[in-house]
Amino acid sequence: MMPIRILLADDHTVMRSGLRLLLERQPNLQVVGEAADGRQAVELAAAEKPDVVVMDIAMPHLNGVEAARQIVNRAPQTAVVILSMHSDESYVIRSLKAGARAYLLKDSAESDLIDAIHAITEGKSFFSPLVRRILKEDYMHQLAEMGAEDSYELLTNREREVLQLVAEGKSNKEVANLLNLSLYTVETHRTHILQKLNLHSVPELILYAVRKGIIS
Amino acid sequence: MENETIAGGRRMLLIGFGGLLLLMIVAGADALLVLRQVRASDAKVRDVYVRRSRALDQVRAGIYQSAIVMRDFLLATDPDIAAQQVTHWNDIRERTDNALQDGAGVLDKAEAVPYRSLQAEVSVYWKLLAFITQMKEQDTRNRTAEYLSGELVRRRTAMLELVDRIDQISTRQLHAGDEALDEAFKTLRLRLILMLAATLGVGLLLAAFTIRRTLHLETELQKRYEEGVRARSELQDLSARLVSAQEEERRNISRELHDEVGQSLSALLMEAGNAAARVPDASVDVRRHVESIKKLAEASVNVIRNMTLLLRPSMLDDFGLVPALEWQAREVSKRTGLRVHLAAEESSDELPDQLRTCIYRVVQEALHNCARHAGARNVRVIVRQEPRRIVLSVEDDGHGFDPGRVRGLGLVGMEERVTHLGGAFEVQSRPGSGTRIAAELPLAG
Repeated sequence: MMPIRILLADDHTVMRSGLRLLLERQPNLQVVGEAADGRQAVELAAAEKPDVVVMDIAMPHLNGVEAARQIVNRAPQTAVVILSMHSDESYVIRSLKAGARAYLLKDSAESDLIDAIHAITEGKSFFSPLVRRILKEDYMHQLAEMGAEDSYELLTNREREVLQLVAEGKSNKEVANLLNLSLYTVETHRTHILQKLNLHSVPELILYAVRKGIIS
Repeated sequence: MENETIAGGRRMLLIGFGGLLLLMIVAGADALLVLRQVRASDAKVRDVYVRRSRALDQVRAGIYQSAIVMRDFLLATDPDIAAQQVTHWNDIRERTDNALQDGAGVLDKAEAVPYRSLQAEVSVYWKLLAFITQMKEQDTRNRTAEYLSGELVRRRTAMLELVDRIDQISTRQLHAGDEALDEAFKTLRLRLILMLAATLGVGLLLAAFTIRRTLHLETELQKRYEEGVRARSELQDLSARLVSAQEEERRNISRELHDEVGQSLSALLMEAGNAAARVPDASVDVRRHVESIKKLAEASVNVIRNMTLLLRPSMLDDFGLVPALEWQAREVSKRTGLRVHLAAEESSDELPDQLRTCIYRVVQEALHNCARHAGARNVRVIVRQEPRRIVLSVEDDGHGFDPGRVRGLGLVGMEERVTHLGGAFEVQSRPGSGTRIAAELPLAG
């Protein structure tokens, strides 16, 4: 089995070496490069074509969110894991919109990073438990504030299945294959889901799924 | 020093105006007094003249009348008619004597001598006439009269001359009185002119002094005013610099804490895990210690995360105003139970840092007030970007206050932040009807 090739991007040397140590303890993970800022990360990602980029947000020259956007644009097969100190949803949602597949808090890196890398190489999304909890709490709070009803109840069983698969990072075609539906039907379901939940993009849908605890 | 000058000037003005007023009063009173004196002496001179003229006229008339009466007496054949004429003559004599006596009361030196002569002549004349009237027989009387006629005529002529002389003296004196009066008027006029000149001079001096002083005070006032304006603008500048320095400091501390301390702690956490993994068959004891290190580090990371957000939310610099406001709204809702409704449009253009910070801090302070003081349940925050300006408002349903009386609550700070960027700031509130703060900030370009 081919090892998973990983690029580390963090402006803190201690952090990078710690991560390298952590990752290389695993038999099938291989660190192929280290970048000290966003621009370097984009260049190295283009040169090395790693499977996974583990990246901080707060970096000089180009921040992690922008770097993730450029990396995913140039090499869609590369999955980006954001490893950040920030726990606020604005960071999570912007990272997802930029194309990141996982969002971890640095203080949980040691326990979650390995799981996250495995999850995203299988095509799923991954979020730190703390991030999940924060997002969920905010959401429940907002629901309670607005006195709004839980729109999840509006979804049909089929739509809920589609929602989960899309949120896990599956493409429409994969969903169609898995559920034995036509591509067109899956697209219709997706549109309905977004409408019913008042969402506008896949990242928002993923965030919603995390908040609801549909995916982890 | 300055106060002394002002007090000195004021005293001088007081003395000057007081002196001027006094001068005018004295001049007026003096003129009145002189006028009255002149008039009194003139009246006296005329009175004397009239009385004396009257006396002299009476004397003159008495002399002529006596002559006429005496002639009639001498011609009378009837003793009754003669007696009548004597009685008549006695009347004339009495009137003339009275007039003479009256005239004697108002004599001056020049007239005294001829007047006394006149009196003497008159009394001799009376005696002569009396002598004639005492004659019993008409013949005797006529003879006596004939004998005395030369004497009588001479005496009458002398008396009349005396009267004329006194009259002349009297008239001369009257003229002298008129001249004295003229002189007095001349003196009075001179005095009045002098007084007027003095008053005018002092007045002019005073006016010049007053004008100079007013101009000086005006310049001083202008200078003070400009100083005040400059001082205020300097103060505002200073306060703005202070605010921006504070903001910069917060940003730096926040970044430093986050990027350095936070990251190091994260690294520490990971290294602790790595260390534990490196110890083969690590004893329960070692694992327990490592776990405790990790717990401490995690707790510290959380503390630092909260601290940095409270100091200055990183979203403000990383993503812009709206995400920062959204975070703020969520935080306030979560911490205080206040329902924050945020309507903020995310603009495509990045706002300048100063503007972003200003709006964020104003909203933060306003929300803080809503939660702490207003007793509000709902807050609506609106931030709208227009082509040339940004409009923001924070409106709550709390119990309100009187903006005219209450001025704390960070309102001054908010206003200063806004006005420093050339914006307008307004607080609308009334006890019992909620509070609305609104600001309008111009967009450069």
